[in-house]
Amino acid sequence: MAQNVSYLGMIPLLPLIGAALVGILHLATCKKKRLPDKLYAVLGCTTPILTFVLAVKVFLDLNGLPVDTRALTHEVFTWFEVGEMHVSMGFFADPLSSLMLLFVTFTASLIHIYSIGYMAGDESFAKFFAYLNLFLGSMLILVLGNGPVVMFVGWEGVGLCSYLLISYYSEDRSNVLAGNKAFIVNRIGDFGFVLGMAFLFWAIGGSGFDYISLKANAHLLAPATVTLVCLLLFVGATGKSAQIPLYVWLPDAMAGPTPVSALIHAATMVTAGVYMVARFSFLYVHVPTVGLVVAWIGILTALVSAIYGMFQNDIKKVLAYSTVSQLGYMFAGVGLAAYSAGIFHVFTHAFFKALLFLGAGSVIYALHHEQNIWKMGGLKSKLPLTYKTMLIGSLALAGCPPFSGFFSKDEILYSALASGHTGIWLVGVLVAGMTAYYTFRMIFVVFHGSPRDAHAYEHAHEPPAVMTVPLVILAIGALFAGFLNLPALFGGSQQVTHWLAPSLAEHPHEASHSTEIIAIAASVAAFAIGIFIAYRKFGKGAVEPVYSGFSSFAYHTFRINELYDVLFVRPYKAIGSAIGNYIDAHITDGPVQLIVWFYRQFGSSFKLLQVGYVRVYAIYMIIGLSVMSYLLTQSFK
Amino acid sequence: MNCDIVYLLPLFTVTIGAILLMLLSAFESIRIEVASALSVGIFAVAFIVQLVPIGLNDVLPFVSLFNGMLAVNDFTRIASMIIIACGLFTAMSAISYFRQNNFGSLEFFSLMTFAVSGMMLLTMAQELITVFIALETASLSIYALVGYNRRNILSSEAVLKYLILGAFAGGFFTMGIALVYGALGDTGFAAIAATISRDGLLQNPALAGGLLFILFALFFKVTVFPFHSWVVDVYDGAPIPVTGFMATALKTAIIAVLANVLLLAADIRESWLDMLFYLTVFTLFAGNLIAIGQNSLKRMLAASGIVHTGYLLIALIAVSGDQFSGSVILYYLAAYAASTLGIFASLSYLSGTDEKRKEFNDFRGLAKVRPYSAAAITIFLLSMAGIPPTAGFMGKLYIIVTAYQSGQVVLAVLGIISSILSMWYYLRLIIAMYFHEADDLFETSGSRSAPVCAFILAICVLALSLYPVAI
Repeated sequence: MAQNVSYLGMIPLLPLIGAALVGILHLATCKKKRLPDKLYAVLGCTTPILTFVLAVKVFLDLNGLPVDTRALTHEVFTWFEVGEMHVSMGFFADPLSSLMLLFVTFTASLIHIYSIGYMAGDESFAKFFAYLNLFLGSMLILVLGNGPVVMFVGWEGVGLCSYLLISYYSEDRSNVLAGNKAFIVNRIGDFGFVLGMAFLFWAIGGSGFDYISLKANAHLLAPATVTLVCLLLFVGATGKSAQIPLYVWLPDAMAGPTPVSALIHAATMVTAGVYMVARFSFLYVHVPTVGLVVAWIGILTALVSAIYGMFQNDIKKVLAYSTVSQLGYMFAGVGLAAYSAGIFHVFTHAFFKALLFLGAGSVIYALHHEQNIWKMGGLKSKLPLTYKTMLIGSLALAGCPPFSGFFSKDEILYSALASGHTGIWLVGVLVAGMTAYYTFRMIFVVFHGSPRDAHAYEHAHEPPAVMTVPLVILAIGALFAGFLNLPALFGGSQQVTHWLAPSLAEHPHEASHSTEIIAIAASVAAFAIGIFIAYRKFGKGAVEPVYSGFSSFAYHTFRINELYDVLFVRPYKAIGSAIGNYIDAHITDGPVQLIVWFYRQFGSSFKLLQVGYVRVYAIYMIIGLSVMSYLLTQSFK
Repeated sequence: MNCDIVYLLPLFTVTIGAILLMLLSAFESIRIEVASALSVGIFAVAFIVQLVPIGLNDVLPFVSLFNGMLAVNDFTRIASMIIIACGLFTAMSAISYFRQNNFGSLEFFSLMTFAVSGMMLLTMAQELITVFIALETASLSIYALVGYNRRNILSSEAVLKYLILGAFAGGFFTMGIALVYGALGDTGFAAIAATISRDGLLQNPALAGGLLFILFALFFKVTVFPFHSWVVDVYDGAPIPVTGFMATALKTAIIAVLANVLLLAADIRESWLDMLFYLTVFTLFAGNLIAIGQNSLKRMLAASGIVHTGYLLIALIAVSGDQFSGSVILYYLAAYAASTLGIFASLSYLSGTDEKRKEFNDFRGLAKVRPYSAAAITIFLLSMAGIPPTAGFMGKLYIIVTAYQSGQVVLAVLGIISSILSMWYYLRLIIAMYFHEADDLFETSGSRSAPVCAFILAICVLALSLYPVAI
C-alpha cells in the first residue's frame, strides 16, 4: 500500500555526508593551512538546499497519489533483529512528515545561508557548519524515521547537536554549563520516551514496530497501557520541547550562536515534541484525559513563560520565553485533539520565530554582540530592513491579523472554545495579550525612541546581503503562511488541515460561526490591548526599570532554577558524593581489592613455575603426558 | 586426476616464491627492502589465488587430492588465507624492524615464506606422514627464524630451548605414527576414521595410544597446559616480527590440523571429552595467571596466547563432529591473528634499537607523543580482551554461544570469567599509554611500512566485527 521510493533515504543522508565532509576537511587541515571559509560555506549550504529540493519532490509525489494512500516508505537495511523485535532503518513520508520536511529544510537552508554572514571570521567556521549539517541530518531522521526507534535516533542526534552548539563558544564556562544543563534535562525527558517506547513494544511491538503496523494494531492495546504510553511519551516531549517542568534549559540554551537559536531552539528541534504527539495521534486520540493533561501543561507553560517574557532584558531571552510560550500553545492544540491546528502553529511559528531570531541576530551583529535591550534604542533608522522584517515577525508572533501567527494561534484557541474547554481558552487569550505586550515592548525599546548607547549606535550598520536576504524571505513566509489554512469564515478552505487529515486521527469540532467569531474577536482584542499597553509604557522612549517585588520575582523566573537546585541538583550531588566517597571506597571496593591481592599472589606464584630451565619444562611435559596416558588406560577398564 | 595441481596453486605460488627468494639471497647487492617487497608480492598473489574458490562448489565441498593425502575445502582454504595474510603483514612490518635492528638479511624472507608453505600444507594434510613433513618444514624454518639474531644471547637461548623441546615432542609424534601404523597398517586419516567409527576408539589400544602421542605433540605446538612452558621464553627471545608470526600463523596451522584430527570421528572427541575439558580449563587459567605476573610486553603477549589457545580448545570441544563447521574457529583465528599481528607490527617500529622498549613502563605516555599508534594499539588490545565493537569480541561471543548451545555451559562460563581476568594485563598497557606523562620521545627510524600495516590491521579488526558468521 505504501509506495517504496529510494530517494527518501537520501534526504537524511545528504546533510550527514555534508557534515562528515566538512568535519573531516576541517580536522585534516585545521592544524596546518586553513582552507578558505568560502569553501566550507558552499559545502555546508549545498546539502540543506538539496534536501529542500528533495522535500519538494516528496510533497509533489505525495500530492500525486490518491488521498487514502498518501505514504512513501523506504527500507534501507534491517537494523537489528532480536527475538520478535524487528527494527529496520526505514523512512516514512506521509502528509504530516512531508509538511515538517518542507519547512525544516526550508528554514534550515535559509539559516545556513544567514550563518555565512553571522559566523564570518569565526575561529572554527567549518566546525559550526559541520555541526549544523549534522543537526539537520538528525532532525530529518527524526521526522522521516519509520517507527519510534528510528525516530529516537534522530531525537538523540538533535539533542547531541543542540548540546554541541549551545556550548559552541566553549571558552566561556557558563556556556558549557548551559550545554550541560540542556543535555541533562533532555536526558530526563528521554527516560520517559524510552520507557514509553518499551511499553509500546511490549504491548504490540511484536507484530511490527513501524508506524503503519503500530497504527493498525493500536486497537489491541488496553486503555491503561495507552494512558501509560502516552503519558511517558509526553514526558519525553516536555524535555525536548521545553514544557513544565523541564523547560528550564531553553532560556539558558540562548548561549549558543544566534543562528543556532533560530534553527534549533526555535524553528525545528524544540517542536519535535509536538510532532511526536501528532505522530502518535492514533494513540492520544483514545485517551482524552491524557490529552487534557497535555493541554493544561501546555497552556500553563504558555502563561508562566509569557510572564517571564514580560520582564526580561536580554533580547534573546525575551524571544526564548516567547518560544516556550508558543510551544505551550502548540501542546494545548494537540492536547485537545486539534492536531492539525497544533502542527499548523508549528509551521507558521517556524517562519516568524526564525525570522525574529535572525533579526535579533542582525541587531546583535550590528551592535557587536550587545544583547541587552536597554543598551539599544532608535535603531529603526540605522537598521531599516531589519526593523521592517522584525516588525512583520512581531506582528505574526503577537497574533495580528492577517499575519500567519494570527490564523494558527486563533485556530488553537477556537478549538479550545469549541470543544468546551473554556478555562484553557481564557488563559490562552490572556497569554495572547501578554505576548503582544512583551513582543512590542522589545520592538519599541530596541528600535524606537532615542539611542541609549550613543557609541554603539554610531557604529551600527545593516548587515551584509547574505544575512538580510534570508530575513526578507522569512518575512514573506511570516506574512503569508497563514493563508495556507484560511478557515471557511474568511472564505478559505483549510488546505493544511485537509492535507494533514490522512496522517492524523482527528475529528474536527463542529461549532457555529458565532463561536468562531467570539474566538477571533477575543484574540484581536487581546492583541490590541497588549500592544496598547506596550505603546503607552515604551512607545516614546523609556528608561531601564528597576525590578522590585513581583517584577523582580518574575525577572528571576520565579526562582525556579534555584528551587530545582535545592530540590534536585544538590541532593543528587550529595548522594553521589556519599556513594563515591564512602560506599564505593569502602563497601564495594574492599572485597574487590581483596580479590585483586589474592589474584596477584596467585599470579606471581605461577610465574615461579617459569624457571627458565629446559629440563624442567621437559619434566612438565612428561608429567602432563603421563597423566593423560594414565587417564587413557583408566578408560580402557 | 590431472587437475589436482589446480587446487594447490596457492601452495605452489608460495613454495616457488620461497625458492626464488632463497636463490636471490646469493646476490649481495640486493637490499632487503627488495626481498620484503617481493615476499609481500608473493603473498598477495597467493592470497588472491586462494581467495578464488577454484574448483570448489556446492557439489564438491571436499576435494581429495593425491590419493587422499591432501584435501581441499573451505576450511583449509580460509585457514590458508589467514596464514598467507600473517606472512604478508609480517613481511611488511619486518622491514621497519630491521631498520632499527641491524641483523636482517635476505634469507629471513625466504625462510618465512618456506614456513608459510609448510603451514599451508599442514592445513590440507590428510595423512600422518604428510602432517609430519609439513610440520617439520614449518618448524625448521621457524627454529632458524627464532634464533635469527645470532649475536643476542637471549635469542640463542630461545632457539635452543625451542629446538630441544620441539625435537622431544616431534619424537613422540613419530612414535605416535608408528603406533597407528602398527595398529592399522595405514596412516591415512580416512582409514583411521573408518576404523574408529566401526570399532570405537578404545577397542584398539595401540591406535588410541598413538593418537594420544600425536595429540600431545600438537598440543605442545599450540601451547596447551602443561606443555606451554617454553612459550614465554621463546617468544621473549625471538625477534619481534618472528614472535608475531609464530603466535598467529603457526597457531592457525596447528589448530587446523588439530581440528582435522580431533574431528575424524565422533568417538575421539567423546572418549577424550573429560581430558580435553580439564586441559582447556587449565590452559585458560594458567595463561591468565602467567600473564598477570609479567612486566615485559612480549612475555605478556606470549602468556595471553596461551589463553587464546584455551578459547580455541573450547571451540574444538563444542563443534560437533558430525556437522563440522569450522567457521567459528576460523573467525576466532582471524580475529586473533589481526589483533596480535597488529600489536607486533606496532612493537616492530616502536620498540626502537635493539628492542630497548619492551616493558609496560617503557610505553608510558605513548598517547601523548604518538596518539595514532596508541589508538591502534588500544584497538588491538580491546579486541584481544574481547570488548565490542572489535573482532575479538565477536570471536569470543561466537565461541561462547557455540559452547553454550552444545551443552558446555561450564566452559562457557569459565570462558567469560577468563575474559574478565584478561582485562588486567590488557588494560594495564592502555593505562600506561594514556594515563601517564611521557618521559620518552618514542623516536623511531625510517620505514613507514609497519605503521601502515598496523593501520590496515586496525581497520581489519573493526571491519571483521561487522562480518557475521553463521554458527
